[in-house]
Amino acid sequence: MSVARPAGYAGGAGERRLLMLTALAVAIGIGYFAFQELGPSAVYYLTPTEAKERQIAPGTTVRLGGQVEPGLTYDEATRDLRFIITDGVTRVFVLGRGAPPALLREGAGAVVEGVFLNDGTFRASQVIAKHDEVYAPPSPGVTPPHRTP
Amino acid sequence: MITTAPPRALTVRIRPVLGLASVAAATIATAMALLWAPPDAVQGEVQRIMYVHVPAAWTAYLAFVVVFLGSVGWLWSRRLAFDAVAVASAEVGVLFTGLALVAGSIWAKPTWGVWWTWEPRLITTAIMFVMYVGYLLLRGLSPGIEQRATRSAVIGIVAVLNVPVVHLSVTWMNALHQLPTVLRPGGSPALDERMLATLLVGVLAFTLIYLWMVAKRATLELARSARVMEGLR
Repeated sequence: MSVARPAGYAGGAGERRLLMLTALAVAIGIGYFAFQELGPSAVYYLTPTEAKERQIAPGTTVRLGGQVEPGLTYDEATRDLRFIITDGVTRVFVLGRGAPPALLREGAGAVVEGVFLNDGTFRASQVIAKHDEVYAPPSPGVTPPHRTP
Repeated sequence: MITTAPPRALTVRIRPVLGLASVAAATIATAMALLWAPPDAVQGEVQRIMYVHVPAAWTAYLAFVVVFLGSVGWLWSRRLAFDAVAVASAEVGVLFTGLALVAGSIWAKPTWGVWWTWEPRLITTAIMFVMYVGYLLLRGLSPGIEQRATRSAVIGIVAVLNVPVVHLSVTWMNALHQLPTVLRPGGSPALDERMLATLLVGVLAFTLIYLWMVAKRATLELARSARVMEGLR
């Protein structure tokens, strides 16, 4: 049979089946993530105003994104992290546990994942600092707040 | 008629030049990234990871566009050189996408506070990575060289859509990954001149490495195909 068999060709029927199953698994994986995470109703985070408009029920896990207002506190002893996240219109009081990421600062962006409590405060299970797209060297004499060990 | 003869100029003359140029550019880029470029006012030294992460990502985009061009070239001309360039470019593209993901993750832990999160840029990049891994895996399923080239070409043409989706994902929806700093419409790049210069030298180094790897791999692919075809005579 004059067929040019290329290098790397999966010759055996078993090998081909395995390869096809792998390809199918990959395709299913892609499809799952595409529809789950990028579907029309799926968003990475809601702004505080969007969360209020959608009337997110207490206890439902959700992510909020916004800016950290001045007044961020972290108590080393109790490990209580408290700050307010805002989108300029709606403010949400966030309660977290454990040391915040180094880049979490007042006036910068943050994304928090967690649940609303009945009183409207947000208990965060995860706090992520957001960095904007601007990069600039430090001014003379000023140490960047984030220092890698 | 299928032609398999590799272009001699590419294999004999250009590759050593590309190799030397790659080493030189990579050395200069590393020196600039570690010693000359300033740290960031907010992030400090960890920002230097950008000089690996961004060139790797952009070169991966380039690689997948070349896969697209090679795929079109094969379907148009039936010259195996196009298919060889396509598979070589896909391999290097997968490598650089993986590198971008790993470098990004290393950067994310001290800055964002997490190694990974399912946000738009990360998801679309992971999908792009997996799709081109699929492209490479599926090449093992075709029993014939021409059939393999044609099947790959179909995937290579569709999968290039990942590139604009990955890049624009952060502008389409709320995302954690920052907006584009350099490749953005309107405003000039939002970074210090020394950072931009270092970044561009890094891009040059990565591109030369990419060209060198593709030249080597495509030549190998054509040699393999030639041997197979010869075995049929």
